[in-house]
Amino acid sequence: MTTTASTDPRPASAPDWLLTRDVTLCPCGCIGKRRKGSYLEKTLTGGADLLRQVMFSDDTAAQHGLLQRIDARVKIVTLFGLLLVGAFLHTIAALMVLYAATLVLAACSAVPVGFFVKRVWLFVPIFTGIVLIPATLSVVTDGEVIVTLWHWHGRAEGITRQGLMSALLVVARVASSISSVVLLTLTTPWTRLLASLRTLGVPRVFILIIGMAYRYLFLLLATITDMYQARKARTVGAEKHDKYARRFVFATAGAMIGKSMAMSEEVHQAMVARGYRGDAKVLAQPRPSRIDLLYALAVAVSGAALLVGEHVITR
Amino acid sequence: MHIPDGYLSPATCAVGYVVAVPIAAVAAQRVKNVVKTRQVPTLAMLSAVSFLVMMFNIPIPDGTTAHAVGGVLIAVLLGPWAALIAVTVALAFQALLFGDGGVLAFGVNVFNMGVVLPFVAYGIYRLLARGSVLTSWRRVVAAAIGGYVGLNAAAICVGIELGIQPDLFHDASGTPLYSPYHLSQTLPAMLLAHLLIAGFAEAALAGGVVAYLQQANIPLLQVNNPGVPVDAADTVAPKPNLRPVAVALSVMAVLVLLTPLGLLAPGGAFGEDSPEDLDLGDLGLDTVPTGLAKYAGFWNHTLLGDYGFSNGSHPNIGYLVSAVVGIVVVGAAVYLIAFSLRALGLRGSIDNRTEPARSSADTGS
Repeated sequence: MTTTASTDPRPASAPDWLLTRDVTLCPCGCIGKRRKGSYLEKTLTGGADLLRQVMFSDDTAAQHGLLQRIDARVKIVTLFGLLLVGAFLHTIAALMVLYAATLVLAACSAVPVGFFVKRVWLFVPIFTGIVLIPATLSVVTDGEVIVTLWHWHGRAEGITRQGLMSALLVVARVASSISSVVLLTLTTPWTRLLASLRTLGVPRVFILIIGMAYRYLFLLLATITDMYQARKARTVGAEKHDKYARRFVFATAGAMIGKSMAMSEEVHQAMVARGYRGDAKVLAQPRPSRIDLLYALAVAVSGAALLVGEHVITR
Repeated sequence: MHIPDGYLSPATCAVGYVVAVPIAAVAAQRVKNVVKTRQVPTLAMLSAVSFLVMMFNIPIPDGTTAHAVGGVLIAVLLGPWAALIAVTVALAFQALLFGDGGVLAFGVNVFNMGVVLPFVAYGIYRLLARGSVLTSWRRVVAAAIGGYVGLNAAAICVGIELGIQPDLFHDASGTPLYSPYHLSQTLPAMLLAHLLIAGFAEAALAGGVVAYLQQANIPLLQVNNPGVPVDAADTVAPKPNLRPVAVALSVMAVLVLLTPLGLLAPGGAFGEDSPEDLDLGDLGLDTVPTGLAKYAGFWNHTLLGDYGFSNGSHPNIGYLVSAVVGIVVVGAAVYLIAFSLRALGLRGSIDNRTEPARSSADTGS
């Protein structure tokens, strides 16, 4: 599976179905869809999925669109602004306007809109909608019953206006927030994004740690997938989920931590040998240009207009 | 357990940052003092590990799999401060690169998974593993129980954070503006998922990896346990080491975490304010029992009557002031009791912390 050159407006040659994920609430997997399947397959697929997402983000970040031209620092500050605007908006219409704005920005930034919508909605909003269905009922959210489903001691029970509004509000807010974050990730090279965290006051040493962690993430991921591939290659028939399988998982996790500690020792010695004395240096960045400031101003004015407009209309 | 943006109010997110940022700063300082220039590569590796541990699918007998969060494992092996930084960086990856967990809710997520989870797990692990040798089964069990309790403590925090939203943030018509579920729904929901599945996954991973390292990589277990004997050949039973300040601070921390619940709890305690508040009909009584009536007003010399100011103004601030005063008094009392116990002869050996001896671990895969 090769990726195309950046002259092609389509960001990657990987088909959409490969780039979408299961609908889950969060990577802990504590809640969400539980599918049966081999633990080896799932881990290997998870590893490949991670690499695919990163490669796809790198591809779209290399396109020539509107957001790709904006300074990463300006983008990260405006992202915070957009998220705050989304958090303070209290009507579904206003939140949908915000979501539509992220779609327009995606379209202007060479991100395929159909893919962008699918990717955002498959992350969390759909799951949020499922989780919030019970919250629309009068047993959870008191209020004016608009759809009667049953009677309890002569009182109508069912979907309340307040419950339905609340559920739609949360789904709309989750969708617009995730849309803003995914937009930033898809249009910014990771190294630039990292360096721009300095503008948010993140200490240099943290940025150095994050940068190195990102680099070794893929090295350690390769180690894990090698161990799992080896196990899979030596397994005849279907994998059993027995105590030996669990023992193998704990051993690979233990070996990975052991390897990472040994590697950190070697990396440290290599750094000291090359003159590292504990002071972190990060990428120097040029001053934001006029187009960056214009973009920041446009986002600030639009966000303020949305907040004020909502306040005036709902008063 | 990752809370996305949109479920929490801006005020809750701000509190999350206010709590998480100073703790992360303290962690950075502590780690810096211990490992000097080593900190960057070590913590970078641990952050990568913390991110990748979630990729390990633990096979469950019913044919499905479960994940662990991994903060517990790093806390057990290298201490809770290192775990805090590693989990924070891993959460930053997830929030910025993959949209897992919110950016505004980042502070809250760091508090749940980077502070509560590793610290509770590590505290329980240390408590249960105290005095045991490195290769004892007690350490495996301690890591597993620490993982189970730590994850569920974090789940309780998530349940509380989500559950206080509808009562604190709703519009005039009663429509909740953020997460609509109340505490009575969020706490059971979070605990059910974590007590039954995720807790066991975390426990299995923490215990299983410690068991593996006991056989394959003792030096890694020694990093955070300098001076602990490897096996029972030359052990000296350590005396219990009671630290009054630590005990008092732990009790106060628990009370601080539980304080907001008092503002949200419906109803009052059983006839606490006055016997007339009791629903006597339900109890099968006609009047207040004479003994209860006689002693009801026995003690009325209080500084903060009814948990508030005497003139009844600012009930919430009055409640919080009462809480602060109460917590400080309880903390002082616990400190005095612990101090007296130690003075009575339970004095343990002083914990001489030395710089962890590192060795390049020789691991086989």
